[in-house]
Amino acid sequence: MIFIRLASATLRAQARYRASLLVDALSALAGNGLEFVALALTFDRFGSLAGWSMGQVAFLWGLTEIAFGSMDMLFGGFDPAVFGQHIRRGTLDMYLLRPVNLIAQIFASDIMLRRLGRIAQGALVFAYANHVLALAWTPAKLLYLPVVLVSAVLFYGALFIAGATASFWTVQGLEVVNVFTYGGTALNSYPLPIFDRWLRRFFTFVIPTAVVVYYPALYFFDLPDPLGLPGWVSFLAPAVGLGALGMSLLVFKWGLRHYTSTGA
Amino acid sequence: MTQPIIALENLTKTFRVALKPEGRSLPWARTWKTVTAVDAISLAIGRGEVVGYLGPNGAGKSTTIKMMTGILTPTAGTLRVAGRVPWRERRQHVAGIGVVFGQRNTLWWDLPVQESLDLLRHVYRVPPARFAENLTRFRALLDLDEFRFKPARDLSLGQLMRANLAAALMHDPGLLFLDEPTIGLDVVAKDRIRAFIREINRERGVTVLLTTHDLSDIEQLCERVIVIDHGRTRYDGALSELVERYGGDRALQVDFADDYAEVAVEGATLESREGRRAVFRFGRGVTAAALIGRLSERYTLADLTVREPDIEDTLRRMY
Ligand SMILES: Nc1ncnc2c1ncn2[C@@H]1O[C@H](COP(=O)(O)OP(=O)(O)OP(=O)(O)O)[C@@H](O)[C@H]1O
Ligand SMILES: [Mg+2]
Repeated sequence: MIFIRLASATLRAQARYRASLLVDALSALAGNGLEFVALALTFDRFGSLAGWSMGQVAFLWGLTEIAFGSMDMLFGGFDPAVFGQHIRRGTLDMYLLRPVNLIAQIFASDIMLRRLGRIAQGALVFAYANHVLALAWTPAKLLYLPVVLVSAVLFYGALFIAGATASFWTVQGLEVVNVFTYGGTALNSYPLPIFDRWLRRFFTFVIPTAVVVYYPALYFFDLPDPLGLPGWVSFLAPAVGLGALGMSLLVFKWGLRHYTSTGA
Repeated sequence: MTQPIIALENLTKTFRVALKPEGRSLPWARTWKTVTAVDAISLAIGRGEVVGYLGPNGAGKSTTIKMMTGILTPTAGTLRVAGRVPWRERRQHVAGIGVVFGQRNTLWWDLPVQESLDLLRHVYRVPPARFAENLTRFRALLDLDEFRFKPARDLSLGQLMRANLAAALMHDPGLLFLDEPTIGLDVVAKDRIRAFIREINRERGVTVLLTTHDLSDIEQLCERVIVIDHGRTRYDGALSELVERYGGDRALQVDFADDYAEVAVEGATLESREGRRAVFRFGRGVTAAALIGRLSERYTLADLTVREPDIEDTLRRMY
């Protein structure tokens, strides 16, 4: 299949940067890990965060980091910063000149193996959470966990694709997009109740990142929602993930019709 | 012309550009202006032609090519290339064309050229036997062996252009679009690329549309030229006729054998004078022979040169 060939070409091209790749991955592991250590230290002083234990927050953190890291690795071509470069440098024009589905080409264009560092960090924190929480894993929960993970990857990916679409029109507006992507995911690493009410509503109903991580976590912990939403909200993650991805792809295709290339 | 391979009718493309793009404001908060890059251009190109598409910077050449290659959607007008509407059937369309932008590169930057070509074989589903034939042919014509196993990033500009030309033709396209293929190249590299284009056109009947600012490209490759300016067609016809129609005056350079206080001759105007040398300009109504006759009656002449207007002069007058 042509996608596999293009993707493996991307990986082969990266081999040249193997050393820096390893350094990047390790520094992401250390850097993001340190962030978590800083968070853990605050627990040492306050004992809990909005009634959440250290282990529970670690669970959220780990899940979010694994999902976001995987998304960043797989959807790297749609990273608004990267995609903006494709537009400005004319690489997108080159993709348009090949008889291969454009979205497949963009996926294949960037597979950021260095994100494995972040994924590993998330996995470590997640393993730690499981260790301290000693959760009662039922078969249903064990089945739902990977579904949640994939849903979160798709959902974050949708945010990247929407952000990439914005770069058809604007370069400067990217920062606004980053508020939604990085802001929305950073928010996922903490228990929702610590946030301001309008922020909670925004990230539950408008850009529902809370639905893909926080609410499923409540199910894994067997906790009711302190904010009063019904229990089935915990199971909306796959619908929200798939729906968001589908919508973002539609918006992307529509944006492409407004693509104007560059003037050189 | 039987059934043109490229047909444009009133093809138009406008861009909205921000008046102050350096501002960090959001799109809806900026002031916009509409620029008409291509303004109702109509033309038809037949199979096997090599056509030069000329015009000053910003005339709209690249924008036209981007529409013909399916990168951009036209704002108005119709466009058919090999019977297809490029932007509507992008994938089928691009499978049958080859495109080289002199300022861009299609090859995988970090992979050896040969690997890029192999990938393109799969991208375009070229039968292996046909691919091997083409590779052999292009290795000879473009001397690919000089750099075939080097990554694209290590190639010189001339080598990169040769590699890109090979990449654009591996799938036997019937049409080749070249946007400034010789930009930045030295004389030898340019010659090699021109020879290749000529050969491909002769050997395979590939139709070529070429933009360039180097008029030697045009002189050596194209019988027909299309000149556009501000997005509108200014000329479409034989290269030879362009100079005849728009070339303007010819020049007669005279070296006098003596110092004359004043030199003049009916039928021509004195353009410049420097020591014993004078340059006269004269229109199509006068023959060079008549002028020389009149001059030699009045003065003693040492040497004479008649200069025909070249394409460069002609275009300078048109732009
Ligand atoms: N993507 C774009 N966005 C906005 N304006 C554009 C864009 N592309 C081209 N233009 C404008 O359209 C006009 C035509 O540009 P185009 O690149 O087609 O000219 P050209 O004939 O190829 O010029 P050159 O000889 O310099 O390459 C110019 O005024 C240019 O600024
Ligand atoms: Mg141009």
